[in-house]
Amino acid sequence: MFRIARNLFHSQQAGLVMVLLLLGSVVALLAGNARNPFTGEEYNKLLNAATLMETATQASFFAIMAAGASLVIISAGIDLSVGATYALAGVGGAMALRALQIDGGLSVVVSLGICAGIGIFCGVLNGAMVVGLRVHPFVVTLGTMWIFRGVAFVMSGAATLVVPEAQTRAAKASLGLSDTLHPVPLLAMVLITATGALYLNRTVWGRHNYAVGGNMEAARYSGLPINRILISVYALSGWAAGIAAFLGSSYYGSASCIDGSGYELYVIASAVVGGVSLNGGRGSIVGAMLGALLIALIRQSIVILQFNPQFEWIVVGLAIVLAVFLDRLKTDLSARRLALAAQAVRASSTVESRSET
Amino acid sequence: MTAPAVRFNHVTKRFPGVLALDDVSLQIEAGRVHALCGENGAGKSTLGKLLAGIHVPDGGSIELDGRAVRFASPREALRAGVGMVHQELAFCENLSVAENLCLEDLPRRGPFLNRLSLRASARNRLATIGADIDVDQPLGALALGQRQLVQIAAAVGSGARVIVFDEPTSSLSRHETEKLLDLIRRLREHGVTSVYVSHRMEEIFEVCDTVSVLRDGKHVASHSVRELAPDEIVRLMIGRQVSAQAPRHLLSVTGQESLHVEQLSSPGKFNNVSFALHAGEVLGVAGLIGAGRSEVAEALFGLDPRATGKVSVLGAEVCIRTPGQAMQLGMGFVPEDRKRQGLVLALPSGANVTLPLLRTLARAGWIRLDEERSLIKRYFDRLRVRAPSPDFPTAGLSGGNQQKLVLAKWLATGCRILILDEPTRGVDVGAKAEIHALIDSLACEGLAVLLISSELPEIMSLSTRILVLREGRIVAEIPRAVASQELLLRHMTGVLSD
Repeated sequence: MFRIARNLFHSQQAGLVMVLLLLGSVVALLAGNARNPFTGEEYNKLLNAATLMETATQASFFAIMAAGASLVIISAGIDLSVGATYALAGVGGAMALRALQIDGGLSVVVSLGICAGIGIFCGVLNGAMVVGLRVHPFVVTLGTMWIFRGVAFVMSGAATLVVPEAQTRAAKASLGLSDTLHPVPLLAMVLITATGALYLNRTVWGRHNYAVGGNMEAARYSGLPINRILISVYALSGWAAGIAAFLGSSYYGSASCIDGSGYELYVIASAVVGGVSLNGGRGSIVGAMLGALLIALIRQSIVILQFNPQFEWIVVGLAIVLAVFLDRLKTDLSARRLALAAQAVRASSTVESRSET
Repeated sequence: MTAPAVRFNHVTKRFPGVLALDDVSLQIEAGRVHALCGENGAGKSTLGKLLAGIHVPDGGSIELDGRAVRFASPREALRAGVGMVHQELAFCENLSVAENLCLEDLPRRGPFLNRLSLRASARNRLATIGADIDVDQPLGALALGQRQLVQIAAAVGSGARVIVFDEPTSSLSRHETEKLLDLIRRLREHGVTSVYVSHRMEEIFEVCDTVSVLRDGKHVASHSVRELAPDEIVRLMIGRQVSAQAPRHLLSVTGQESLHVEQLSSPGKFNNVSFALHAGEVLGVAGLIGAGRSEVAEALFGLDPRATGKVSVLGAEVCIRTPGQAMQLGMGFVPEDRKRQGLVLALPSGANVTLPLLRTLARAGWIRLDEERSLIKRYFDRLRVRAPSPDFPTAGLSGGNQQKLVLAKWLATGCRILILDEPTRGVDVGAKAEIHALIDSLACEGLAVLLISSELPEIMSLSTRILVLREGRIVAEIPRAVASQELLLRHMTGVLSD
C-alpha cells in the first residue's frame, strides 16, 4: 500500500493531481455553501455529489477522445478530425437505428457497434492517407475534419436526430446511486483510460507506438512495421471518438452534424496539459484524462464562482499555456537530475575501469 | 618567442550535475596550431566553446593577447577575433552560402538586399581561404566538408586571428580531411592561431605544433608535439595503457558462406556490387564518404526500395524489401548515425534493446516484463553497458554506452549476419576498445560481420579481408596480410602509382 502511494507520488501525474486538488480546494473554499431549499441541508457549492459528477461527465467525453488522440500525438502525429468523427459517428449511429427501425435494449448494442465502426473507419482513412500520401497528419486530418463533418451534414440534412430512449436510459443509468447522479460516462472514461494505459505500457503495440513517435527512422531500422503501426494508431483514435459519440448522443438524447464542434481543440489541449509531448514519444493516457478533468474543473469553477462566463475561453487558454510551461520547467529539472545521475554513472565506471587495469 | 595568443587562468565550468572543467590553466602561443585532446567528456570541447563565447566560464578568466576578455556570445567572440568551426554551428541551412557568409552585415541598397555586392563579398571571403563554392547554393545542399569551409571563410573573413576547430574531421572523408589540414597549415602561415580539438592522433601529429591533454575536466599536460609519441598522448588521455593485438578470430577457420551478393545496384548510389561473406569472418569495407558504403549496407537490410541484384543468405536466394524481412533472415544492422537511426532516445535504455524482438517476448501482445528484464540484464552484462537500470533514460548515457545498446539490440535478436556501419564513431577510447574486442569475439563465435568504417586502423586491425569501394563500385579486395594504410588509401582515392 505504502509502495503504491509512493509510486503515485513519484509518477509523472503527481503534479497534475496536486494542481487538481489545489484548484479544487481553493474553489471549494471560495464558493462557500448553499442551502437545499427542500431539505434545509447545507452543502458546498463544489464539493457535492451532483456538481462533481457533472464536472466529471463534462470531462469524460473529452477524456475518452483524448485517450485515442494521445496515441496519435505520442506517435508524433496529430488528429484534428476527432470532433468531426464524433459528429459523423453520432449522426451515422442515429440514422442507422432509424433505418433499421431498431428500438429498445437492442439499440444500445447496435448503436455502440455502429458508432465505434464509423469511428474506426474514419481513423483508418486518416491513417491510410497519412501513410499512403505522405502528407503531414496535420493537413490530412484538417482535411478530413471538414470532410467528415460535411458527410454528416449531407447525410442528416442538418436535422437533429433523436436517439432511442433506451440509449439515454442506459447512458444515464444511476447504477444504484441517487436518481440525480449519472455515473456511466465517468465509468466509461475510467475504463477506457485504464485500458489505454495498459495498452501503452504493457503491450507490444503500445511500445511500438512510443518507438515510432520517438524516432521513426530508428523504429524502421529496427524492423518495425511502421505503416501498420500508424494506421492502427489513427484507427484507435477514431474508435475512441466513436465511443464518445455513442455516449454523448445517448446521454443528451440526440445527434446532429454540429455536435462536437471544436472538440478537437479541447481534446488536444487535454492531452497536452496532461503532459503528452507534441513532438511525440512521450506522454500518458492517464495524464490526458487528468488534463481533461482539469479543463472541466476550470470551466465548472467559472460557473460556481459566478465569474462572467464570457471569460471562460480566456481562462482556459491561459491555463493551457501555464500548464505546459510548468511541465517544461519540470522537464528541465529532471534533465538536470538526469545529468547528475549520468555523471555519477560515469564517475563509477571510471573507477571501475581503473581498478581493472 | 611571441606572447601567448590565448591564456586560460584557473578556468572552471559547471554544467547541471557535471564539473566539465576543473581549474584549467594553459596557454596557447600565437601563430601555432594547438591541439586540445582527451577522451569524450574530458572537457576539451567545452574549453574550445568557452574561448568562442558559446559558453561562459563559471570561474577563472580567459586572456586574449594579454587582455582579459569575457564573451557573452559567439558574436562578441568573433568581434574580438575568435571564430569557431564546429559541426552543429548555427548556420541557416535554408539560406544561400552568400547570405550565410554575410549574415551579420547584409549589404543593402535602401531597404533592399544588394545581391550583387552580397555575392561579390561572399566570393571574396571564400577566395581568401582558397575555396571554390557556388555562393548561390543553399547551405543545406553542401557536403559537410564544404560547410566547414564556409564556416572557416566566415571566421577568417570577419578578421578572426584565433580559430577553434571542434572535432572538424569526425564526419569528413580522408580526402576532405587532407584538404582541411592543408588549409589549417596555410592559415598558420598567415599568422592565424588554431585551436584544434580532436582525439585523432594522426591529425594531431600531422598538423599541430603543441598539444594539451585534458582528462576528467582537468589539464593533465601540455607538450610540444615533437616531444611525444602517439601512445604517450593516449596514455595521458586515458591514464592507462592500451595494447594492440591481432584479433583472435583469425586463428579459427572461417565457416560456410553466410551472405552472397551479386550485381547489387541502386541507381545513383552504387553499381554491380558483388561479394561473399562467410561465417566467422570480419569483412572490412573501406571507402571515402560518398563511395556508397552505407548505401550498400542499407540496401542489404531492405532500406533501399530501388536496389536490384541477387542476394543469397545461407545459400538460398532471398528478396529483402523491409528491415523486418532482413531480421527474419538473421541479419542485424548497426547504422551509421546512432541518434537518428539507431536509438529511440525517448525510450528508456532497456526498451531500446528489446525493440526489434518485442514480439518474441510477448504472449498475445502482452509483454512479459520479467522476461524482458532478464534479457536486458543479460545483454547489459555481456556488453558491460554502464547504466544504473534498464529504465535509465537513453539520452543520459555516454556515446559508448549508447552504441553498446544498438549492438545489444541486434545481438539479442540472435542474428548470424551483422552489418556494422561506423561502430565506434563518437565513442570514447575505452568503449572503443571494448567494442573492438566484442567484434572479434562475435566473429570467433561464428557470426559473419560486415564492418564499414572510415577509420583505416580500425578496419585493418579487425578485418579478415578488406573491400574497397570507390564511387559506388568495388575496386579492390585486399587480404589482411598485404593491407596497409597507404595501399587502401590509393584504392580509395584512385591514385595508383603503378
